[in-house]
Amino acid sequence: MREPPVLDLAGVDLTLPSSAGPVEILRGANLIVAPGETVAVVGPSGSGKSSLISVAAGLERPTAGTVRLFGEDLSKLNEDGRARLRRGRAALVFQSFHLLPNMTAEENVSAPLDIAGRVDAMKTARLWLDKVGLMHRLTHYPHQLSGGEQQRVALARALAVEPALLFADEPTGNLDQATATQIADLMFSLVLETGAAMVLVTHEPALAARASRTVRVDQGRLLAA
Amino acid sequence: MNTSRLAATLSFVRCELRSGVRGFHIFLACLALGVAALAAAGSTAEAFRQGLASQARSILGGDVAASLEGRRFTASEIAAFAKAGATTDTLLVRAMAEGPKGRRLAEVRGVDPTYPLSGHVDLEGDQSLSDTLKAVDDRPGAAVEPELLERLGLRLGDAFVVGDLKLVVRGVLKSEPDKLGRGFSLGPGVMIARTSLERSGLVEADSLFGETVRIRLANGVRPEAVIANLHRRFPDGGFRLRGRKDAAAGLGRLIDQLEFFLSFIGLAALLAGGLGVSSAVSSYLDTRKCSIAVLKALGAAGSMIRDVYLIQIALLASLGIAMGLTIGAASPFVLGWIARNRLPVPVLFALYPAPLIRAGLFGALAAAAFSLLPLARARATPPAALFRDNLAGRVRFGPEVVVLGIAAIGLAALTLVSAPSALVAGVMIAGVLGAFCVLWLIGLVAMMLAGRLRRFTRGAARIGLANLAGPRSAARTATPSIGLGVALLSAVVLIQSSLLAEVRDVAPNTAPSLVMTQIPGERAAAFDAGMLQKMGSLRSDRYRRSPFATGRITGLRGEPVDPKQIDAKGRWAFDQDVTLSTLAAPPPDANLTTGRWWATGYTGPPLILIDQDIARAARLKVGESITLSILGRTLEARIAGTRRVAWGQFGASFPLILNPSALAGANLRDIAIARTKPGQDNPIIAMLGHDFPGVNVVSVREQLQAALKIFDQLAWAVRGASAVAALSGLLVLVGAITASGQARAKESAILKVLGAARWQILAAFMIEYGAVGLIAGLAGILLGATAAYPVTTFIFQARLNMDWGGVAAILAAAAVIAALGGLASALSALAKRPAPVLRTG
Repeated sequence: MREPPVLDLAGVDLTLPSSAGPVEILRGANLIVAPGETVAVVGPSGSGKSSLISVAAGLERPTAGTVRLFGEDLSKLNEDGRARLRRGRAALVFQSFHLLPNMTAEENVSAPLDIAGRVDAMKTARLWLDKVGLMHRLTHYPHQLSGGEQQRVALARALAVEPALLFADEPTGNLDQATATQIADLMFSLVLETGAAMVLVTHEPALAARASRTVRVDQGRLLAA
Repeated sequence: MNTSRLAATLSFVRCELRSGVRGFHIFLACLALGVAALAAAGSTAEAFRQGLASQARSILGGDVAASLEGRRFTASEIAAFAKAGATTDTLLVRAMAEGPKGRRLAEVRGVDPTYPLSGHVDLEGDQSLSDTLKAVDDRPGAAVEPELLERLGLRLGDAFVVGDLKLVVRGVLKSEPDKLGRGFSLGPGVMIARTSLERSGLVEADSLFGETVRIRLANGVRPEAVIANLHRRFPDGGFRLRGRKDAAAGLGRLIDQLEFFLSFIGLAALLAGGLGVSSAVSSYLDTRKCSIAVLKALGAAGSMIRDVYLIQIALLASLGIAMGLTIGAASPFVLGWIARNRLPVPVLFALYPAPLIRAGLFGALAAAAFSLLPLARARATPPAALFRDNLAGRVRFGPEVVVLGIAAIGLAALTLVSAPSALVAGVMIAGVLGAFCVLWLIGLVAMMLAGRLRRFTRGAARIGLANLAGPRSAARTATPSIGLGVALLSAVVLIQSSLLAEVRDVAPNTAPSLVMTQIPGERAAAFDAGMLQKMGSLRSDRYRRSPFATGRITGLRGEPVDPKQIDAKGRWAFDQDVTLSTLAAPPPDANLTTGRWWATGYTGPPLILIDQDIARAARLKVGESITLSILGRTLEARIAGTRRVAWGQFGASFPLILNPSALAGANLRDIAIARTKPGQDNPIIAMLGHDFPGVNVVSVREQLQAALKIFDQLAWAVRGASAVAALSGLLVLVGAITASGQARAKESAILKVLGAARWQILAAFMIEYGAVGLIAGLAGILLGATAAYPVTTFIFQARLNMDWGGVAAILAAAAVIAALGGLASALSALAKRPAPVLRTG
C-alpha cells in the first residue's frame, strides 16, 4: 500500500499586492511529494520558485487552492497551528542562511529541538554540528562564521529534528563552487541518512539532476521537466 | 573646505534627507526631553526670582528693615531711622490666644498708623485697617487670620484674650504684604495697634518680643549706603539690618537650590537620553553603511562622509533643542495657569533668555558628546563593508574624538558654573558618571550571566536569555539609561521617605511633645509642681526646664562678624538671633566634643559652650572669644568647649550655653520641654491657661502634622520631576526596541519557521526586555540607596528609611514597563508575515 504524500498542492494560486498592482506569482500549481522523495524545482529568476516553498511550508497563505502538509489542510490551521505542524516534521534551509544572530551555532541548532520540547536539545545539536564538521565552532555567533559554515549550521539545524520533509531554497546560491558542492553532498547524504523527503529550489542543473524528480516553474505554472 | 566639495557635501546631505530620517524620533525625544527639563527648571526659577525681586519692597515692607529681639530701639536709634526716611515701627510677640474653643499660640503684631509703607493689608470686607484696629469701648480691635478664628471658635465681633489683653475680632486677616519676608511662623497671626500691644504687658524687658522698624527711602537713596551708615553709627546695636536685596534671602537660596536640583534632574535626563541619542545615530548610520561604502569606493574622503552625516545630525539636533526650548519656555506659563491661585510667592512669568540659552548650550554639547563617536566610526567605515556587512569602522584618534572631549568637558564646566556650589555640583557629576560606568558594567555582567544561565534553561527562556547575552543585546544601552533614571527616582523616594519617617515616626518618639516658654523664673517651682501633677513624674527623660533667652552673635575674636568668612552650613547662626540657655551642670545629653564644662559654682569671666557645626563654620576654637548681644546688653564670652547638639530631640537643643553667672541679674524666663503621654496634652494646656496664662505652649505634635502635610504636597512634585530622568531611560529602551525592529521581525520569522508558537516568541521577547528592566531597576535602586544614605545621614541628620513599598513599586515598574516594551516589540514583529521578511532579510 502506497504511503500518503507528505505534501500535496492542488490548484494553488498566489497573488501578492505590490505598489504597481497585484502580481500573480503562482497559477494553478499542483505538486505531490511522496515520503523520501527528492523533488528539484527549477526555473528562471522571479518565476515563483521560492514562493512555492513559502506556500508549501505554510509561511504564506495561497490565494486559492489547497495545500496539505502531512495530510493536514493548511487553510484550516492558524499561524500557531501551522508552526506546530512544522515543528519537528518539516524544516527549511534558505539561501541567506537565516541564523538567529544572538545565538551561537550550538544554540541555533538546538533552537527547533528546544521549541519542540526535546530535553536532549543541546546534546543532539552537538551531534549534528559534528556531522557537518563544525564541532570547533560550537560557541561562535553567526557573524563570526563564513558563509559556508553558516549554511552548514543551517543544514544541521534543519536536519537535527529529523524532519519528514526538508524545504531547501537555493541552499548553495550564496556560496562559491567548491563550498556549494560540499554543502550539496552533505545535504543529499544527510537526507538519505534520515530518509527525509526534500523539495529543493535551485538554479543549478547539476544539483537538480541529483534529485529523483524535477519540476519546472514557468510564469507561475508548475510543469514537469 | 573648498566650494565644489561643499556643494557636493550639501548635495549628498539633501539626497540623504530626502530619503527620510526614520529612526530619529527617539533622538529628537531624548534631546528635547533633557533640554525641556533644563529650560523649564531655569525659566521657572527665574520667574520666581524676578517675582520676588519685583515685590522686594513689599516683602521687606520698605527699603531697609532694622530688627532686634528682647529690647526696644532707643530714642537715638529711632531718630536715626526717621532721618533716613519714612518709618513704620512694628512689635511682634508670641503669646497664647484664648477663645471659646480653646487656646493656641499666636503671633501678635502691633502696627502703627503708618503701616504698611509698601503694599497693603488684605482684609475680608471693605473696612480699612485703621478702623479695624481702633479701640471701641476700650476694647482694641484685632484683625485675625482665619486659621486662628476656626481654632478658637471665633467670629467677627467676638471677644478673645491674648495674655492679659482683651481684644475683639473686627477683621479677618487675609494677607500681609511683608509676611513672606518674616519667614517661618509658629502660629497664626493677629494684628492689633502697636499702642494696644505696648499697654498689654506682653512687651517687657526680658520677655521674648521683637521690634522691626521699616524705612522707606527717598528716591535715589541706596539701601546699602543707609545700612552701612547705620552700622557705622551703631556698631554695638546688636540689631539686624536688611535691604531690599535680602528681603527674602532664605527664599532666594531655596529657589537657587531648587533650580539646581531640577536642573540636575534635567542634566541626568540628558545624560540618560544620551545613550538614546548615540544609539539612534549608530542605528541610522548602520542603515547607511552601504551608501557610505559606495561613496568611499567612488573616492569620497572620510572627512566628507563625516560632514555629510554631521550636517544632518546637527540639523536634527537643532530641531530637538528647539522643541525642548519651546516646551521649557512654555512650562512656567503652564505652571502659572495651573497653580495661579495657590502659589505662595510672587511670580513674574515671562520669556527669560538666559536659562534658555544655558539649556540650549547643554543640549548642543550633549548632542555633540553622544553623536561624534558613531560619526567617527562612520568616517572610518572601509569600502569593503559593501561586501561584508559585519565590517565596522574602528575609531581612531582624530578631530571627532578631540571635539567629543571638548564637549564632555564643556558639559561638566557648564554644570559647575551654573550650580550654586561647585563642590556639590562636582560630587553630583562624579556620582552620575560613576553610576553610569557602574551601570554599563552591570549591563555587561548581566549579558555574561545570561550567557551562562541560558544553558540551564529551555524553550522561550533560553531564546530570551540568548538574546540578552547576544551581540545585539539591549542590556548594553538600556541598562545604564534605565538604571540612571531609576537611581535618581529611588534616591529621591528614599530621601523623602526617610525624612517623612523622621517627622512621622522618629520625631514623636525623640522630640518633646510640648514646648513651654515665658515661664517666670520666680514661679518655676510652682510650674514644676503643676507639671508633676499632670504628668505623674518629672524624670529627666520626660521633663526639663532651663533658663531661656535669645541672642545675636555680633563678634568673633574681638572683631565684628564678617558673614563672608562664615561657611554656608553654619551661617544661619550669624544671620539671626539664636536660642541660648544658662546651665550650671552638664545635662545627660551634654555631648561635649572639645573642651569641658565649667566647675560647679563658677563665677569668673563669662564662658560659653557652642554647637560644633557653628564653631566649625566660623573656625572657632576653645579659648577664643565671641561677642553676644543678649537682651539689649553686650557680652564677651570665652569658648569653654564645643557640643554636638541633637537638633529636634528631647534635650538641651541650644546652640549656645552660658555659665549661669554670665547672665546674673537678668530676669530670664524659663523654657520647659515635656514628653507627654497620650491624653496629657489638653489637661496640661488647660492647667497652664488657668495658672500660668502668660506661658506659651507649642504643641510639637501639631507642628509635625503640619510639616507632614507640606511634605506630602512636596513629595509628589519632586517625585514627578525625578520621573523625567526615568522617562528618559525608558525612551532609550523604546529607541533600542525601535532600532531593532527589522532584526526582531526577522528573528520572529525564523522562530516561526522553526515551529515556535506565538506565545513562545512573546515570552522570549518579554523575558529578554523584562530582565533588562529588572537588572537596571535593581542596580538603579542600589545606586539610589547609596546616594540617599549620605544625603539623609550627613545633610539631614536622619536615619535612612528603606521605603520597601516604594522601592518595590519602582522595581516592578521598571521590569514591567521594559517587559511591555518587549511585548510591543514582539507583537509588532509577529504582525509581519514571515515569507516577505525572510525574502528581504
